[in-house]
Amino acid sequence: MVLSLAWKNIWRNKNRSIVVLLAIAFGLWGGLFSGGLMVGMGESMVNTAIDRNLGHVQIHNKKFDETRSIREFIPQGVQIASEIKRLPQVQGVTARTSFTGIASSATSSFPVQINGIVPSEEQTVTKLHDKIIAGSYFGTSYKNAIIIGEKLARRLSLHEHSKIVLGFEGLHGELVNIACRVVGIFHTASSRFDEGNVFLLRDYLQRQLEAPPLIHEIAVRCTNAKEVSRVTAQLKQRYPHLLVQSWKERAPIVAYMSDLMIMYTYFFLVFILLAVLFGITNTMLMSVVDRTRELGMLMAIGMKRIRVFGMILLESLLLSLSGGIIGIILGEITITITQHTGINLSMFEASLSSFGLSAILYPNLPGSMYFMLTLFIVITANIAALLPAWKAIHLEPARAIRTV
Amino acid sequence: MYLNLSWRNIWRNKKRTLIALASVFFAVITAVTTRSMQLGSYAYMIRSTAHFYNGYLQIQHPGYWENRSLDNTFNQDSIAYTALLDVNHVESCAPRLESFALISFGTTTRVGEVVGIVPHMEDQATNLASRLVQGSYLTADDRAVLISQGLARMLKVAPGDSLVIYGQAYQGQIAAGLYPVKGIIKYPIRELNNMMLYLPLKAAQDLFLTGNRLTSIAIMIDDNRHLDGVKRTLRTILPAHYALLDWKAMLPELHQDIQFDNVSGMIMLAILYVVIAFGIFGTIIMMINERVKEFGILIAVGMKKIRLLLVTFWEILFISFLGALAGMAGATPVVWYFHLHPIRMTGEAAHTFEMLGIEPIFSFSTDPYIFLNQALIVFLIAFATFIYPIIFIRRLDPSRAIRS
Amino acid sequence: MKKQTIHILRISLFLLLGVSLSFADQKATEIVRKSNNLLRGKSSFSEATLTVIKPSWKRSITMKIWALEPDYALILITKPARDKGTVTLKRKREVWNWIPTIRRLIKIPPSMMMQPWMGSDFTNDDLVRESSIVEDYTHTIIGRETIGDYTCYKIRFDPKPEAGVVWGKIITWISQKNYLMLKAEYYDEDGQLIKTMTGSKIKTMGGRLLPTRWEVLPHNKPGHKTILQYKSIRFNIKLTPDFFSQQNMKRVR
Repeated sequence: MVLSLAWKNIWRNKNRSIVVLLAIAFGLWGGLFSGGLMVGMGESMVNTAIDRNLGHVQIHNKKFDETRSIREFIPQGVQIASEIKRLPQVQGVTARTSFTGIASSATSSFPVQINGIVPSEEQTVTKLHDKIIAGSYFGTSYKNAIIIGEKLARRLSLHEHSKIVLGFEGLHGELVNIACRVVGIFHTASSRFDEGNVFLLRDYLQRQLEAPPLIHEIAVRCTNAKEVSRVTAQLKQRYPHLLVQSWKERAPIVAYMSDLMIMYTYFFLVFILLAVLFGITNTMLMSVVDRTRELGMLMAIGMKRIRVFGMILLESLLLSLSGGIIGIILGEITITITQHTGINLSMFEASLSSFGLSAILYPNLPGSMYFMLTLFIVITANIAALLPAWKAIHLEPARAIRTV
Repeated sequence: MYLNLSWRNIWRNKKRTLIALASVFFAVITAVTTRSMQLGSYAYMIRSTAHFYNGYLQIQHPGYWENRSLDNTFNQDSIAYTALLDVNHVESCAPRLESFALISFGTTTRVGEVVGIVPHMEDQATNLASRLVQGSYLTADDRAVLISQGLARMLKVAPGDSLVIYGQAYQGQIAAGLYPVKGIIKYPIRELNNMMLYLPLKAAQDLFLTGNRLTSIAIMIDDNRHLDGVKRTLRTILPAHYALLDWKAMLPELHQDIQFDNVSGMIMLAILYVVIAFGIFGTIIMMINERVKEFGILIAVGMKKIRLLLVTFWEILFISFLGALAGMAGATPVVWYFHLHPIRMTGEAAHTFEMLGIEPIFSFSTDPYIFLNQALIVFLIAFATFIYPIIFIRRLDPSRAIRS
Repeated sequence: MKKQTIHILRISLFLLLGVSLSFADQKATEIVRKSNNLLRGKSSFSEATLTVIKPSWKRSITMKIWALEPDYALILITKPARDKGTVTLKRKREVWNWIPTIRRLIKIPPSMMMQPWMGSDFTNDDLVRESSIVEDYTHTIIGRETIGDYTCYKIRFDPKPEAGVVWGKIITWISQKNYLMLKAEYYDEDGQLIKTMTGSKIKTMGGRLLPTRWEVLPHNKPGHKTILQYKSIRFNIKLTPDFFSQQNMKRVR
C-alpha cells in the first residue's frame, strides 16, 4: 500500500517529479558519458603510441638497448615471429631489422633508427600507413623504397622521389652505405619520432647486408587490449633468454600520461556524483517543504512516522529508478553514436589540428561500468533523500497543518 | 522599490531560499573543485617534467635549438644569475654547457651527453643530488664526473675509476680529458639513464675550450600560470637576440597531450554544468511553483505581470549572486585543504608514477582565477533559470491560481 | 659493397670523382682513371696543412701522412701545439685516435663516423670510405673548357642507381695534358649546386705534376671553406703494415 501511495504521490505533482526524475536522469547520463569520454581518452593517448610504432608487446635481444647495434639481433627471429603469430590472442606480428645509423642527403646528415620491415606484416601491427602525407606507403616498384618522417625530410631537404643515403656499421664492423628512394613521407603526433626513424623494405636491407634475415625487434598486436598482460606473461615464459616487454614496460611515459588522465577522471566522477547528490537533495527537500501541509496532515491522521520516512524514501527510489532508466538509455545512445563518429576535438582547439587523426576522441564504456555507475547513482539518490525524509518526519503535524 | 520587495520576499520564506541558495552554493564548490583539480593536474605534470631536466624556460643562443653545436653558445657574463633569480616567480636557474662526446673506459667506448653544471644550482633546479645511488655529489671545483647508471654499467666503471671524455670542442678544436668518477646517478627513464654525464661547469668549459660560455640556462618557476609573465620580464633583461624557449616549444608532445586532455576536460566540465543546471533549475522551479497562489493574488489585486516578473528577476539575481559568492568562499577551504594535503593515488597508476620517480598525488590548483571563473559560470547558469518564471508568470491565470 | 681504403690525398678525389668502369664512355673513364692514378701510389708519405674557415673562426692543422694502399693510413698532427702528437690510425675499416695529452687510445665507434675529423669539414667516414668513385658512377665527356692555362675535358659523372652516394651528378674538369683535376662541381638530384672543389698551385711533387692546393667551397653554407695544401709528397716509399700499429701511434714523430 505504501508503494502505491508513494507512486501516486509522485505523479500528483507532475512538474516536481519530472524535475527530480530529469535531475537523476541527467546525472546518470553525465556520469556515463564522462566515463565514456574518460575511457576513450585514456585509450586514445595510449593508442597513438601503440599505433605509431610500439605495438602491444615488444621483444628484443637483452643487449639491444645498450648500443642498438646490428649485432644485437634476436637469434631465429623470423621463426619466433611466426610462432608468436599462431597464438590465438595475437592479431599481428611484425619482425623488424632495426639498428642505428646515419641518414644523409647532399646537404646534411642526421642520426636515425633504420628499420627494415615487411609492409604487409607491419600493417597488421601498426597504423603508420595512415600517417602518410606525401607519396605512398610502399606502393611503388622501387626495391630500395624508403619512407621518412616529415621532420627529417625538412632537415635533410628531401621530398618524394629524393635519394637518401643510409650509413651504418655492418655485421663485421665494415661501413655500409646504401642509397634509397623516398616513396612516402609520414607525419605523426611525435616530431621526435618523425625525425629519428626511417622504414625501408627488409628484404632489400638484408640483401645489402648480404646476410640472412636479421631481426632485432618483434612487435606484437593482440586481438584485444585486455589480453596484453596475459600475452606478455606467456611470451616472457616462453622466451626467457629474450627481453619481452609490454608497451607499458617499454614506454612507461605513455602509460604515465594516460594513467594520470584516467585517475583524474575517476576523481571527476566523484564530483559528478556530488553534484547529483546536491541536486537531488535540494529538489527533494524542496518537495518535502512544499508538502509540509499534507505530510503534517498524514501524520496527524495517524500515519506512523516511520511509514512517512519510508514513503519518502520509496518515492526517491522510484524516481531514481525511473530517472536511472532514462539516464542509461540516454547514455547508451550518446556513447554509441559518438563512438561511431568520434568527437573531433580540433573543433574546439585549433592547434590540435596538427594532430591529424589522433585529435578525434572515441568514447567507450565497458559494460561493467554501466552497472557500477547506475548503482552509484541510485544509491546516491537514496542517500540524498535521507535528509529530506528526516526533515519530513520531524514536522510537527499541528504546525504543519496550519501552514499555508 | 522592487529591490526592497524582492529582498524581503527572499527572506520571508527562509527555508526555500536557503535550499535554493544551497543548490547554487554546492554547485559552485563542485565546479571550482573539479576545475581546480583539472588545472592542478596539468600544472603538476608540467612541473614534474620541467624539473626532470628541461626547466620551464631556457635561455639559449638563437641557433642552438636547431643546431646543438658548441659554436652556438653564449657568453655567461652577459647575464647575471642574481638578476634572473630576482624575477618574480622564478625559483631557480641552472646554467649549463652541454655537448655529446665519446666516453671511454678500458676498451669500451660509448657516446654520452656531457653536461657542465654549477652543482648547487643544478641540484636546486632538478634535485640532481637526490638521484645519487653511489659515491658523492659534485662541488664546483671538482675535476670529476657523475655518470648515469646505465652508462656506468656499459662501461663497467665504478666510483674512483677514471674515464676518458673525447670529442669536438669549441671552434673546431679537440676536447680530450681524463676524469675520475665521483658518483653514479640513476634516472628512471632508460634513455637518460644510458647517456648522461655531469661535470662541474668550470671543468667542462676547460674541456670544451669554450671559456666563459654556456649552451643554456634552464629556469624553474613556481607555477605554470606565471609563465607568460616571467617570459615578458625576462625578455626585458636579456640581450635582444638571445632565444628564450618555453616548455611548450621544447616539449611539444607534452603540450599536445595537455591540450588534448584540456579540451576533453572542458567537455566533461560542460557535462557537470548540465547536471548542476538541472539541480538548480529543479529547485527554482519548485520555488516558483509553490508560490502560484501568492502570485495569483498579487495579479488579481492589480499588480502588472511585468512588475511581478521584475520582482522575481531580482529575487533570482540575489539568490544566484549570494549563492555564488558563498560558493567561492566555501570552495576556498576545500581547495586549500587538498592543496596542502594532496590525496594519494593507489593502484597501477600510482605504480606508473613511481616508476618515473614522480610522487603519485592529486594536485589541486589554487589559482584565484578558477574561483572567479567557475563562480561566474554557475551564477550565469543559475540566473538562466529566470526563463522559467518568465514562462510561468506569463501563463498565469489569476483566478485559476488563487483557487489552486 | 666492397670498397677500397682511401688515402688522405684521395679524400679530395673522393669528393670529386668517380672513376667509372662502365662502358658509357670509355674515353672518359680512361681520362678519369689517369687523373685518379696521379694521386695514387702503393705507398706514400706527405706533409700538408688543412685550413678550416667558418664565419666566426679559422683553424689550421699541419700533419704528416703515411699511407699504404688500400687499407692503411696514419696521420700525425704536428701543429698547432695543443694538438701536436695526436695520431689518427686507419686499419681497414677501423679508425683509432691517439691523444697524447691524456695518453689514451680511442676507437671511433660507428655512430661517430659522420662526425667531423679534427674539426674539419671531412668526416671520419671520409677517411675510411672505400673509393665509391670507381664503381658508383658512369661518366661522359660533355665538352671542353679552359681553366687558367689548361684546356680541360668537361666530364659528367652520373651515379649508378644503387650506388650509396648522395650526389645527383658531379661535373669535373680534367686537363687534357697531364690529366690534372682542376675543378669539380657537386650537384644534388634537383640540380642544385651544393659544393665546388678546385685544385690549384700545380707543382711537381714526388716526381709527378699535380695540383697541390685543394679548396672545397660549400654553397649552402656561406662563409665556410676548407683548404688542403700539400707541402711535400713522396710516392712508393718503404712501408709495411707493421708500421700502422697502435704502438707506433705513440712513437711516431
